[in-house]
Amino acid sequence: MTIASVTQLICFVALSLTLVLGALGVVLLPNIVYSAFLLAGVFLSVAGLYLLLNASFVAAAQVLVYVGAVNVLILFAIMLVNKKEAMAEIPGLLLRRVLSGAVCLGLFLLLLRVDLTTPWAVPGPTPLGEDATTLIGIHLFSDYLLPFELASVLLLMAMIGAIVLARRDVYSSDVITGEAADQGLIEKERTPLLLESPPRDTTLLEKV
Amino acid sequence: MFVLPGYDAFLGFLLIAAAVPVLALVTNKLVAPRSRDGERRLTYESGMEPIGGAWIQFNIRYYMFALVFVIFDVETVFLYPWAVAFHRLGLLAFIEALIFISILVVALAYAWRKGALEWS
Repeated sequence: MTIASVTQLICFVALSLTLVLGALGVVLLPNIVYSAFLLAGVFLSVAGLYLLLNASFVAAAQVLVYVGAVNVLILFAIMLVNKKEAMAEIPGLLLRRVLSGAVCLGLFLLLLRVDLTTPWAVPGPTPLGEDATTLIGIHLFSDYLLPFELASVLLLMAMIGAIVLARRDVYSSDVITGEAADQGLIEKERTPLLLESPPRDTTLLEKV
Repeated sequence: MFVLPGYDAFLGFLLIAAAVPVLALVTNKLVAPRSRDGERRLTYESGMEPIGGAWIQFNIRYYMFALVFVIFDVETVFLYPWAVAFHRLGLLAFIEALIFISILVVALAYAWRKGALEWS
């Protein structure tokens, strides 16, 4: 065993441990903010695994999009929701847990089967580093040109859909029932952030 | 087999970066004076006394900015291979990239028109 392969093995074990433990934390922790931050760690570990597989462009894209953007979006979505409202008791919790567990197990078995039956050997020498990124660019602008241009249309649709959903004032009344739409989200955005916070909690200082 | 060159420095940088918070906390534990006041139980907020709880509802503005940011982040990822392979692709690819960007400029114009970029 050379030093390089030992280093690679250590990196792989560390990344895998971080990934599995972080993913378990995402699912099991009761505080949803901790889950969101752990999810960033999971995404980073996945980027590290991509680096170990010599896919530097995919690793960079993973950090840029998932850690930098998607996770921030998830955090903002969590912070939009006021946690202090008491959660209603969910009926049939055991049945729900069994069902979701069965679905997860089925998905896991499917992935395992794909993993075992796919021939993983790559024919020919694989390009590395910057050459690989150049090759991606060349393929993107020759064979995969239409999907590339369609991606921009998809991004346009995503942007318009997101703005329409986030700004409910586009529809002043509900399309189906004809009642006035919930304008709460729009009203709240007009009040400054600090005024929304509850009065200062001085109980800690009074205990002194 | 990991063969990408130039990642030795990256690994060293990663180890140093991981050591910084550990060293900061350990040094603080060793050097800093211990206080028994009630203030030590407050959340650290850059020396200010924290106002209110941390569980406040954030302004929906932030969510809008994050949404717009995700869209243009993905656009960057799509344009990066084009920039790397620019010299080998030629004029046609340049025009194709211009079409790609112009479609997304429509998205930017829509967001601008709907006031998703305003901070007031």
